[in-house]
Amino acid sequence: MSVDTMASNELFVQSQGYLVSEMNGEKVMLSIENGKYYNLGQIGGRVWELIESPASIQDVVDRLVAEYVIEPEDCQRQVRQFLQQLKAEGLIQAGKE
Amino acid sequence: MVLPEGLEMKGMQSVDVEIDVNPPQDPVGDSFETANYGVDNGRFLFHVPETAVYSVADGNHIAITPYPAADEAKVRLFLLGTCMGVLLMQRGILPLHGSAVVIDGKVYAIVGESGAGKSTLAAAFARAGYPLMTDDVIAVDLSGDAPLVHSSYPQQKLWEESIEQLGLQDRGYSSIYQRVNKYAVPIRSRFCREALPLAGVVELVKSEEPKLSMQAYNQLEGLHALNVHTYRSSLLHLMNRQQWQFQSIARLASELPVYRLRRPVDGFSAFDLVDSIIRLTTKKEVVNS
Repeated sequence: MSVDTMASNELFVQSQGYLVSEMNGEKVMLSIENGKYYNLGQIGGRVWELIESPASIQDVVDRLVAEYVIEPEDCQRQVRQFLQQLKAEGLIQAGKE
Repeated sequence: MVLPEGLEMKGMQSVDVEIDVNPPQDPVGDSFETANYGVDNGRFLFHVPETAVYSVADGNHIAITPYPAADEAKVRLFLLGTCMGVLLMQRGILPLHGSAVVIDGKVYAIVGESGAGKSTLAAAFARAGYPLMTDDVIAVDLSGDAPLVHSSYPQQKLWEESIEQLGLQDRGYSSIYQRVNKYAVPIRSRFCREALPLAGVVELVKSEEPKLSMQAYNQLEGLHALNVHTYRSSLLHLMNRQQWQFQSIARLASELPVYRLRRPVDGFSAFDLVDSIIRLTTKKEVVNS
């Protein structure tokens, strides 16, 4: 599945069923269902927080650009990739607006 | 009911946990038809067939209703085990399954699967002169700046061969309920009664390899080890305590080193394991990779 299949009006939201905590500023998670552990890292953890309620890639990018020193284009590309990974792992749900 | 496992207290002590023992009766069957556990108005209830119904509430109150012909030793087994674990969870104190020893004023938790050799190792520590904090449920208090371990009841459960290996035989210890080869060994003389800081966790693992090996876990591995060895972790969801437990073990795994100690199945001397743990604690700086 290519990155381009994520339409710009798509909304992303956290999946349910994970225990979430932090270790040294990094977001760590445990799937209650399959017992898998995840470390989303620091900025990945911030992305996770930003999709607690449904948000578009642009919503997330706007916030990150305001909080971190990063070019919007670069940020957009990385957020797309990251959300793609989270989606493939089932950590997030995607739906149309 | 008399608790021979308890410590004799002298003088005035504040009462920490109230335990009511109701007159024996057959329980009203309906509530336990599908499961032996339940939660009712914040009370945690559980049922051990032919033994008793237990209720644990508010982190300070336990009520026991034994069956008319219940074995008292078995009634106590679940009181000191599951009931105490649940009570600790209600208080926000993380229970880990294993033994805890005091080395140089700091506590090291020894966790591992049943049969890994936790109690034997703890007994070897005691024989070598190190005080024990507990030999079953490790009560980790995370309310302050540093994790603290509270002391437990002063008894060890040891298998017959461990008693022989440690030179403790022929002392007339009583066997634990339905465990003919496992004995209750009082450890009052080498028992620590004050809360002390937790300095590290060692997961003891049986290994086919011929040599002992000690390895520091990375943080996610440490997190997993603490999750696996949380006492009665299957009850956490009933008590709505899963998120709290995960945050507690995440904090522990980020603040403390967690090690894996592999011990050979054969030629295993508990005193060799004691040495390898002592060596850990005397390192100037322990690197958690």
